[in-house]
Amino acid sequence: MNSLPDLLHPRWQCLKHRIKDVRAREMLKPIILACLALGFWSGTFIVFYRVLAYFQGIESLGDFLAAKLLSMILLVFFSILLFSTIIACLSIYYLSDDLQLLFSLPVSLSDVYVAKLLETTVTSSWMVLLFGTPIFLAFGVVYHAPLMFYGYWVIVFVPLIITTSTLGVMFTMTLVTVFPARRTRDIMVLLSILFTVVLYILFRLLKPESLVDPESFSSMIDYFTTLRTVSSPFLPSVWASECLLPWLQPSYRGNSGFFLLMLWSTSLALLVIGDWTSSRLYYNGWSKSQEAKRTRLTRRKTFTYALELFTKPLSPAIRMLIEKDVKVFLRDTTQWSQLLLLFGLIIVYVYNFTVLPLDRSPLPTFYLQNLFSFLNLGLAGFVLSALAVRFVFPAVSLEGRAFWIIRTSPFPLRAFMWSKFCLYVFPLIVLAVILTVVTNWLLEATTFMMMLSVITILIMTVGITSLGVGMGAMYPRFRHDNTAEISAGFGGLVYMICAMALIGVSIILEARPVYIFFLSYLKKAPLSGWFYGELSAALLLLVGINIASVVLPIRYGLRNLISMENHE
Amino acid sequence: MIKLINLTKKFGTFTAVDTVSLTVEPGTIFGFLGPNGAGKTTTIRMMVGLLKPTSGEVIIEGKNIAHEPVEAKKVIGFVPDRSFIYEKLTGREFLEFVGGLYGLSKDECREKIQTLLEVFGLTGWGEELIESYSHGMRQRLVLCSALIHNPRVIIVDEPVVGLDPRGARLVKAVFKDLARRGKTIFVSTHVLEIAEEICDRIAIIQDGRVTVSGTIEELKEIANTSDNRLEALFLRLTGEDDTRDAIAALTLERNE
Repeated sequence: MNSLPDLLHPRWQCLKHRIKDVRAREMLKPIILACLALGFWSGTFIVFYRVLAYFQGIESLGDFLAAKLLSMILLVFFSILLFSTIIACLSIYYLSDDLQLLFSLPVSLSDVYVAKLLETTVTSSWMVLLFGTPIFLAFGVVYHAPLMFYGYWVIVFVPLIITTSTLGVMFTMTLVTVFPARRTRDIMVLLSILFTVVLYILFRLLKPESLVDPESFSSMIDYFTTLRTVSSPFLPSVWASECLLPWLQPSYRGNSGFFLLMLWSTSLALLVIGDWTSSRLYYNGWSKSQEAKRTRLTRRKTFTYALELFTKPLSPAIRMLIEKDVKVFLRDTTQWSQLLLLFGLIIVYVYNFTVLPLDRSPLPTFYLQNLFSFLNLGLAGFVLSALAVRFVFPAVSLEGRAFWIIRTSPFPLRAFMWSKFCLYVFPLIVLAVILTVVTNWLLEATTFMMMLSVITILIMTVGITSLGVGMGAMYPRFRHDNTAEISAGFGGLVYMICAMALIGVSIILEARPVYIFFLSYLKKAPLSGWFYGELSAALLLLVGINIASVVLPIRYGLRNLISMENHE
Repeated sequence: MIKLINLTKKFGTFTAVDTVSLTVEPGTIFGFLGPNGAGKTTTIRMMVGLLKPTSGEVIIEGKNIAHEPVEAKKVIGFVPDRSFIYEKLTGREFLEFVGGLYGLSKDECREKIQTLLEVFGLTGWGEELIESYSHGMRQRLVLCSALIHNPRVIIVDEPVVGLDPRGARLVKAVFKDLARRGKTIFVSTHVLEIAEEICDRIAIIQDGRVTVSGTIEELKEIANTSDNRLEALFLRLTGEDDTRDAIAALTLERNE
């Protein structure tokens, strides 16, 4: 019996209802989202168009650079697809609510596997496809590719996606078999470490630094050879780039048909192997994930003691709320993996400052050091808002369907909001100050810039945090399956835009005083009283804007929570 | 004491609860019955401050929940029909957390928690994460949390959903004991045996309106039925006598 269409039908119906629901309720949200997506889409197209057009202008070398860029993009897509498949597969194949029903129905395991594979593929690839399209369009337009190129691109991408999906699913199935019974914590931690390692290795494989430094090669021929060599002939992303390049550059000597066959034969073979793997591993793994009635809980007395000590001066209610949030956070493995990844990104961010070749620039070192130090405020603000959208913005929504406990208790919602703010603002301030001090120290920035950066980042962090708590309450998502979807929603997007605006305004406010400072330093002229007046005014305005960012979002968020009705 | 005065809730043009007025005296177990979608849960959600009434008032121990929500909530213990709680806390931590929200110190909580866990048969599970609890155990834990601050009013939506016969018996005994100690208990339920066994007074809600209210004896008189069972009364009073015909038709079909 072929139940595949029946298995896919509910998903399709749900999607239709969701679209209908959006149409019926409010049009503003999808319009804003569509505009943003279109903006991002056009932006990506323009950037790639200009880069490729520039490459094309460089005689003989340009085509090689474009080819290398294409293979890099495909490699990044391949790794993102693979990782998102693994994450999606874990929830779709093992934790999804409909599995109980599906396994109780007279449906073959193979049909469930294929239906879930389709779901996993669509879930993990639609975003990559959506945002990847303008890049390939740019390639096509710049290289005047024939119309067939765009059709060919689809024929190349389909097997690439099938390959990543089946590989990801097989990998996850093996992992779930090795780690039995709801040991998702171990799986998630393992996955994040793995992802970081893979990302690092892939990055190193590409040797991006060598491309911008031809001098490091003994001869130009070496440089060309490096650009020309296929980096890893066993990577499907390389096959995809080998398929596409002859369409873009007629002079490119490659075997497009052979690599297309490689892609399709591999993807189809993997489909069969995946089906075979699932027939052996899937049911056992899923069954195991239902077991384990008791969860072993490791508890460190010292940690509990420290937490109690830290919260002691607070009222019992706020204290319990903070203790609860910290415990829940530490026990939620999805939070860990995200934290780990963000930590990795921060290390990369700081590392970049250690390798900046400031001394090789024709501009004065002093000027560059302090300019970077100033611009770094924006970057640090961006890192902080990225952290905040992931951890602070979901703070209210994380109460989830248990929010009725807070709502029916005599604990005021205002105190609830402020306790969330207090919980996140201190760790973020510590991190912000460390980031700023370390990067400024690495840049050897002047004391003035160091002081200004620390004061500014301190003020901005308070604003960014409060904006996160408040907007999280304005756009709460109590019914969620995983934490990541809270920040990935519409509210998270609006929050990021607001946080960026706040950072932008804060930096613009300080731009003039900093510029005056640079000039006087370079001209070796003393700073006037006017400068100090302007600086004080800028700082006062900065404080004012950030106070508004603290008070207003919390107020509107609170108002929304009070007026909300269906939050259970 | 609970007092509902002309309580009304409208969702757009649909009236879910329509001018409901009730008084529940201290020391009473009040049963709130009605068919699915009659407005029971909506009424309860307004009583505990989860929903804002369109009009009307909810007075808990003399405090209007709309005007003095904090004071009113201090004396309420609430058990919802679906027990969504923090999965990543242990049972004991969850109770400490709820106790904290009601202003109890950790020391005050500790002794109370031990007693409640014992009463509800969860002693061995206090240190386990809630995610490993069965549905019935969660329900018992939520009952513990509703009683931790020694509330004067207890509002329960479907008290025995997911409980095994032993758990259901325990809950009934606890409610009776609480009522004896002067607490006001408001219970919404589908299980008519529960209402029959423990409730002093009953109200039946249908299409958002309270159609009848009184003791079981009074309801029998109103229904004018010789059948002593509450089920017969309920079906008669909610106009669902045709359900019997449907069941009869179904039985006939099966016998053919």
